[in-house]
Parts: sequence; structure tokens; C-alpha cells
Amino acid sequence: MRPYLALTRAMLRSALRYRITFLMGMFGMFFQLIALFAVWRVLLDEREIGGFGWAEMRPYLLIGFTCGMIVSSFTDWRMAYRIVEGTVSLDLVKPVDYQFARFAEIVGGIAAEVGVAVVLWAGVLVFTGPIALPPPELLALFALSMLLVVPLKFLFSYVAGLGCFWTHHYNGIRWTQQAVVAVLSGMMIPLALLPSWLATTAAWLPFAGVASTPGLIFIGRVDAAEAARLVAVQAFWIVVLWLGARLAFRGAVKQLTVHGG
Amino acid sequence: MLRTIRLYLRLLGTHLRASLEYEADFWLMALGAAMTQVAGFVFIAAVFLRVPDINGWTFWTVALLFGMVGFSEGVINLFFEGMWWLADLKHNGELDYLLVRPYPVALQALSSQVGLNGLGNLLTGGALIVAGLVNTDIDWSPATAVVAVLLFLGAMAARVGIMLACNATTFWLEGPTSMFAFAVHQVGDLARYPLAIYPVVLKGLLGVVLPFAFVSFFPVSWLTGEGGTGWLGLLTPLVGVYCVVLAAWVFRRGLTRYESAGN
Repeated sequence: MRPYLALTRAMLRSALRYRITFLMGMFGMFFQLIALFAVWRVLLDEREIGGFGWAEMRPYLLIGFTCGMIVSSFTDWRMAYRIVEGTVSLDLVKPVDYQFARFAEIVGGIAAEVGVAVVLWAGVLVFTGPIALPPPELLALFALSMLLVVPLKFLFSYVAGLGCFWTHHYNGIRWTQQAVVAVLSGMMIPLALLPSWLATTAAWLPFAGVASTPGLIFIGRVDAAEAARLVAVQAFWIVVLWLGARLAFRGAVKQLTVHGG
Repeated sequence: MLRTIRLYLRLLGTHLRASLEYEADFWLMALGAAMTQVAGFVFIAAVFLRVPDINGWTFWTVALLFGMVGFSEGVINLFFEGMWWLADLKHNGELDYLLVRPYPVALQALSSQVGLNGLGNLLTGGALIVAGLVNTDIDWSPATAVVAVLLFLGAMAARVGIMLACNATTFWLEGPTSMFAFAVHQVGDLARYPLAIYPVVLKGLLGVVLPFAFVSFFPVSWLTGEGGTGWLGLLTPLVGVYCVVLAAWVFRRGLTRYESAGN
């Protein structure tokens, strides 16, 4: 475990060392939340849409945004950069598991991101009023599902990053991945409000697990049994993607050509 | 002047040819950019399936706002992408090369990259603008058309100017990335929605400090009569010129601070 903890520490230190860069990045993202809040505030002014009022939408959007904010640090850029540049060869010769090592790095970034999230929540609560907590059993399931967001989001980035072994290019993959997640995770609009064909598609894909699931549980849109089922679905996708990524990695390293050295 | 433009296009052309060498990159970037625009559009389309308007703005007028922001993004990617590499040029001392060539440094820096994602943004943004114009009830006359073209050019200039000015702040900031400009870029996305939905502080920010509202909101408002602030739209060409002049000034001031990186 020690080498992995070292990677986690190194990534946290890096976030704290380049804190202006890190905070500026977070600050920029904050405007996405402002836009979403402004749009929905007007839309839900004295009316409900599909059973969602402003009282539910405010915490839902905040949770979706928080999920979007965490695991967004530079780990996947770093991984992609090293694959494209060939320095990934140094990662490959280290006696650690490549996939788990990248996860350890993500966890280091999260420690810094959670700090920002706490400040954000405090700010939103102060400026827009308190948020009602769900009953204890839902709160516990919410906490669990937030924890599961971390490995799930990591796996999306990781699999996208593995694509670099084939494409030698990351920007386009990353943007596509982010766009798909933005729509199908329910981050901007609850999935129930999407046209039914899109909502059904989203229900069969893993993306809902990184925004919709914790959001719906927190605002009490689902009962405890349904919440537990949704959390189980999150866990299911983590297992499937974790193993799938391992399989993909085997194929991916065969693609690697590193010139010079 | 003509020579300056011709040289600019030639500089861009060389970088474009170099970028097109990597064909898969080209497709992936264009796809990624288009998908990003589509994601925003799916959101707004899904919303409009449930409500008839946002603060009086109908689906197609909001589509125009989205289109203007997306298209201006594409203009920057394709023709002025170098601005995003300014921090890099500064940090690595590569600006030295540009300083000794007989061509404006700012233009050399701007043309030092071509963002192939621009094509995706231009296509999706352009499609939204066309669809928005076709489906909106606009009283077209030759005069309207001329003014509309002027407003469009002004809006594009405003966006390019704001982003160049923000990227040029790298001369005052440390570090190899333009994080400040990235943050401002996110502010620019607020212009995809009607200005009226924002609190007064943000209206001031978008209307005056970082006049992104002139990239989309005010010109579209003039053309469609939506929002009741159309007369401000007529200022768009002036704001565009102002932003570009300001950006050139910031860039020149910043350049005097440049100290190279040794070697």
C-alpha cells in the first residue's frame, strides 16, 4: 500500500503547491453552477416541472455540480500526456499496478477538491438559504453513493485516457467524454425530464451514477429501497468498468511505441 | 494592411497543414467540439420541451444565443488559437524568436496555432444561427441585413478581443498556463442564456467589465426584438472595436514586461 499512498500524497502536494492554478480552475467551473442556478431559478419560479420545484432542484444541482467538480483535477491529463509523450514507459517499469496507481493519484486530488467543495457549499447555504436534510437512512445511502462517485468517475476518465494508446491524442476524447457525461449523468437536468428515449438510454448506461443517483437520493425523490438499488447499480458498474479497463489495458500497452530514450 | 493580412493567412496556413498531417486528431477534435455544443443544446432543447419560453425568450432565439457563442468560439479556435499558447510561449522563452521577426508580435503569437476543434464549433454554431434565423420572425430588409452583418462582425471581434486581453494577462501572472483566461472563458458561456435571468452583479460583469453580452445577447436582442434592450445591440460594432483595441494595448503593455527565459 505504501507506494500508492506516496502517489496520493504527491498529487495532493502538487495541488497545494500550484494552488493558484488549482483554485482558478475551480473558480472557472463555478460559473457553470451560476448559469444552471440562474436558468432553473427562472424556470421554476412559482411552478413545478415534472414534479421538480426549486426546493428540490437547488440541492440536486448543487450535488450534481459537486460530483462534476471532484475527480476533475489534472490526473487524467497527466496520464494522457505521458502516454502520448512516451514517458508512460517509466510508469510501466515501476513495480506498482498501473490502474491502481492512477486511482491513488486521483484520491490525492480529491482531498484538495473536497476542501473547495466545503467552501462552495458553505457559500451557497449562506447566500441562498439552508437545505433540508433527508431522513437518516437516505442520508446514509447518499453518503455511500457519493463515495462511489469517486471510483466511477475515475474509471470514465481512465478508460478515456487509455484511448490515447490508440489515438495519441486526448483533447477530442476528453471533450466527447465530458459532453456525454454532462447530458447522460443528469448533471444539468434531471434524467426524468429528458425525452423518454434519452432517459431510457441514460438508465441503461453507467453515467447516471456520477450525478443523478446521489442527487435523487438526497432530495428524497426515491424511497430507501429504490435508493439502495441505485447504489447497487453504481457498485455494479464500478466492478464491470474496473475489470473492463484491466482488459483494455492489456490490449492498450501492446499499441505503445516509444521512440528514443 | 493587405500584406499583414496575407502574411497572417500564410502563417495560419502552414500551421493548418502541419495539424492536418494528423488526420485522426483532426476528426477527434472536431467531434469533441461538436459534442460539447450538442450537449449544451440537448439541455436547452429538453428544457423547452417542458416550457414555452425563458423570460420571454423562445427556443429559437435562445438557439441564436447558443449559436453566436459557439461560432465565436470556433472563430478563435480556427484563426486566433495562438492566444491560448501565449503563456506557454512566454514561459519557455520562445517569444524571443517572434521578437526578432519583422511582423507584429501579437499577430505572430495569435497565428502560432490552429485549433481544429474550431471546425466543429463553427459548424454547430453556424447551424444553430441559421436554424434560429429561419425560425424566428424577423422583419428583413436590406438595411436590417447590413446592420445584422455589422453586429455579427462586432460580436466576433468583441469575443476575440476579450479573450486576447485576458490571455495577455499572462505577462503579469506567473506560471505556464492561462488559468485566468480559462476562468474568463467559462464566464463567456453565461452569454448563452438571456441576460435577464442573472442577478444585477452578473449583468454588470457581462455587460460592462467583460462585455460577453455583446457577443450574443445584445445583437440578438436587436435583431429579434426580444428582451427590450435592442438599442444597446447597435453598440456591438463599437464594443467590438473597443475590445480589440484594448486587447492590443494590454498585449503591448505586457510585452514590455517580458524578460525571456535565458538561453
